[in-house]
Amino acid sequence: MAEHGIPRYARKGERTEEARQQELRKIEKYRELEQCVREKVATHEYTPETLQKISELLSSNPEYYTVWNYRRQVLRSEFSRAESSDSDETTANQVAALIKSDLLFLIPLLKSFPKCYWIWNYRVWLLDEAKRLLPASIACRFWQEELGLVGKMLNLDSRNFHGWGYRRFVIETLRELKSAEQTDEDMTKAEFDYAKKMIGANLSNFSAWHYRTKLIQRLLNEQSARDEERKKMLDDVIPEELELIHRALCDPYDQSLWFYHQNLMCVFDPAVAAQTMAPNLSDSDRLEYLRREIEEIEDMLDGAEDCKYLYQALIDCTLLAWKVEGITPGDGQKRAVLSWLAELKKLDPLRQRRWLDFEQSLGC
Amino acid sequence: MSSVSGPGKATGSPDNQELCIQKHVEYVKRLDSRRDELEYWLTEHLRLNGVYWGLTALHLLGSPEALPRQETIDFVLSCQRENGGFGAAPGHDAHMLYTVSAVQLLVTLDAVDELDKRGLGGKEKIGSFIAGLQDKESGAFLGDEWGEKDTRFLYGAFNALSLLGLLHLVDISKAVEYVKKCENLDGGYGIRPGTETHAGQVFTCVGALAIAGRLDLVNRDRLGGWLSERQVENGGLNGRPEKLPDACYSWWVGASLAMIDRLHWIDSSKLAAFILRCQDPDAGGIGDRPGSMVDVFHTCFGIAGLSLLKFDGLQEVDPVYCMPKSITARCLAS
Repeated sequence: MAEHGIPRYARKGERTEEARQQELRKIEKYRELEQCVREKVATHEYTPETLQKISELLSSNPEYYTVWNYRRQVLRSEFSRAESSDSDETTANQVAALIKSDLLFLIPLLKSFPKCYWIWNYRVWLLDEAKRLLPASIACRFWQEELGLVGKMLNLDSRNFHGWGYRRFVIETLRELKSAEQTDEDMTKAEFDYAKKMIGANLSNFSAWHYRTKLIQRLLNEQSARDEERKKMLDDVIPEELELIHRALCDPYDQSLWFYHQNLMCVFDPAVAAQTMAPNLSDSDRLEYLRREIEEIEDMLDGAEDCKYLYQALIDCTLLAWKVEGITPGDGQKRAVLSWLAELKKLDPLRQRRWLDFEQSLGC
Repeated sequence: MSSVSGPGKATGSPDNQELCIQKHVEYVKRLDSRRDELEYWLTEHLRLNGVYWGLTALHLLGSPEALPRQETIDFVLSCQRENGGFGAAPGHDAHMLYTVSAVQLLVTLDAVDELDKRGLGGKEKIGSFIAGLQDKESGAFLGDEWGEKDTRFLYGAFNALSLLGLLHLVDISKAVEYVKKCENLDGGYGIRPGTETHAGQVFTCVGALAIAGRLDLVNRDRLGGWLSERQVENGGLNGRPEKLPDACYSWWVGASLAMIDRLHWIDSSKLAAFILRCQDPDAGGIGDRPGSMVDVFHTCFGIAGLSLLKFDGLQEVDPVYCMPKSITARCLAS
């Protein structure tokens, strides 16, 4: 939307008359093309020539959402024509060819305008049409190929919001379309490996960490539904997750990692544990994990005394431990929290009043 | 009507702490005089949004009369389609995004009754277009007949319908349930269930809950913590961890904090200074960052951000609607 990150340029000032005339000619050409497309669509002239004109117009202005709708109308009409063919096979081949060529048309546009909502929307629509009109095995191939595309997009910009949302969407559809021999678990594992690879490439990728949280939950749900088995698995999974995040936190100044850490700590919070990978840990297990976590973070302070996130995490874990234990802390217990808070107030002046509110909530 | 971007640049120096009110008014007024620039035509798909951004900025700047009222109403109405929804410009397809801008504009101009006068089916016609976009099963809203789902549209529907007094046309509790499903453990919200938190989406979800009277569902301290961490050293706000600051997040983050009573959790004077550095002090307008091209989108949300911070000389903005508070108060009271 609008202009993001477009660098300044010298203000145009007065354009020369020649430049002005040149721009006027461009405007005229653009408006002629627009007019031509509108007329053809208004008279339902859904021909390859109209499609060509639409392609030209969208290439010069991919944000023109109404023209994407025109394109859908033309395609729908071509699909209907294909459906009137005698054999199912011919119909499928024709529809598949139309979809394939339209998907190809979008590639250069997505490369030039990776954040344009309308192109992504149109692509999803096209792939949904494949699902609606083609046998599952053929539709599945189209969707499968999207994983390659979205992988490339995320390699170019590993935080692209559309890219991650799109990936999740493609996977959901592939789950619907997949063949009998492929299991849900296999797919989740493959995605889990993908998230792992992306985290490995850039530890600070919050999008990949977020995806990982969701996948772990899914994996556990798929592998077992029963609490005792889940508990046994968690005996492996939780220490593994904690270890991974501790290793990543060798750079404790990275905010993304601390948000992942905060997510993980929700496992030990009785109020929200239900939404996490381990809803039913016992309180004594929770406390034990939290105690070890506090020790771990205290160790990290060594040499990183100026890192505010460490104090924040220490406070969060300590408060959570009080909550699990169900205790009202005495002055002695509050002392440690207050000393960390004093550091926070020093290190984090931007959020000074947040910390003052917190101090007040402690009743000090 | 106004074009969306350019042509100036944001060159405010660090010491320039003045809000160039008059320059910004002139900038918005000038936008429609640029029909000889290709950019004007290439941004036609944003025209109705652009008018909303421009008019809102002018109201907050204390110059509500700077755009001709009747002409603006005529333009808004010329964007309505037969199904009751509005497109970005005459002849463009109806979509939730433009329908919301149209309603906000008509309310701001106190001209909702023009819909009846001109025989366009009255506000009920708009209401039924919006209500028709609710997915009965999930409670979410689609952008248009082609089916994209996004919490932006749910917020837009609530925004427009509540201004028209027509919220009863939709299943509010289903929609609220859907918003709840978009919540993450960090207290924030994503574009759809399961997606990561994004400040823009936080604004739409918290805004929708505010309109539904369900802010009790928000984990205020957790979300307030996440939102306050959007402020970076130079005072600006970003939309997600480790991203660059951008003047428009002054609004998405600031308004969300205001709705949950946590706006004081960030440093408002540093934020104000950042927004002011994004101004073009010569030609008016605000860009995403110091040194960027200005556009009416960032101009509106930069000024709205300053208004949230009670910046001197600005009218008060309503954090739920991004419209002048005096206007939403009048509209919602009736």
